[in-house]
Amino acid sequence: MRFGDARPDGRAVVYAHIQADPLVARAADLLAVATTTQRLLARAAMNGESTDPAAWHAMFPTLFGPAAPAPGDPVRVRSEAILAVSLEVADRGEQTRSQFRGAIVEAVTERLLAERTSPVRRERRILFDGRPAEIHPYDVTVEREGAAEAWDCKWGARGIKADVIHQLDDARRGAADESLRLLAGLVVFDARRSCEVRLVREKGPVSLEGIKLVALEGLDRLAGRKPA
Amino acid sequence: MNLTVADLVTRALAACDVLAETAAPIEDELQYVADLDTVWGARLRAVSAARGTDPVPPGAEEALDALAAEAARISDPHRAIDWLSTLPQVALAALGEAA
Repeated sequence: MRFGDARPDGRAVVYAHIQADPLVARAADLLAVATTTQRLLARAAMNGESTDPAAWHAMFPTLFGPAAPAPGDPVRVRSEAILAVSLEVADRGEQTRSQFRGAIVEAVTERLLAERTSPVRRERRILFDGRPAEIHPYDVTVEREGAAEAWDCKWGARGIKADVIHQLDDARRGAADESLRLLAGLVVFDARRSCEVRLVREKGPVSLEGIKLVALEGLDRLAGRKPA
Repeated sequence: MNLTVADLVTRALAACDVLAETAAPIEDELQYVADLDTVWGARLRAVSAARGTDPVPPGAEEALDALAAEAARISDPHRAIDWLSTLPQVALAALGEAA
């Protein structure tokens, strides 16, 4: 088993510009250290219609209401910053914001994994002797000898599709055939409950036991932390 | 009359119905929409069964009103599907519950 760079194609060139946008890094820096409710705020606002912060303040009383941390408190400041960056993403237009959201989930995953392990890489393929190479690269990989990981990142549970599950399962089985360990999984910026119903419908004959699911409530586990 | 947790759960379920109606044109996702309705409806009703007569937490009524207004604003069926997962999570957070 070895890791390799993805083959450059048109989509990758365009997407690389999205990944490199400072807005992605700003959002990822905030969300990597956010609480579950703050991450939920980002999920809702990045995919919402309202652009008025007051509407979001009302929807999240535990972050902005009378019982929330007072203005100026670091947690409150982070909530406000997450809302601002999320509305900035939402303002990019339907097609572009969809790409930004995906890039942000990947960037958050990269940051969280880097807290626990290294080296963490992006957009890498996994190659096995005697097996045809997968066309699509994995979003984030950990290329540590004896403790390799391959993660596909999704904005929502709806992004979990049969081909994604099959590719992760193939990689895991390819590593096992070489008597190597590969942790293969999905990072989904959505509730575990929604992910589980989607996985069950999309898995086909694949056993889910070998595929790890990290949902919005459990993102801190990527960093080896308990959920905030 | 004082508002209860059960009243707000009813509002959240009604907002989910609005989203499901908006999502209906995406025939390929009818099963997923039905699955979301089943699991999130059950989770919300469980909160109602456990704490239905409790008074609502501060800000929760305004949160559910704002959430229902947001759900009504969504006209894109794909976004409505995404929100069928998001809305119950936000409603539960407002009620002081985990997803």
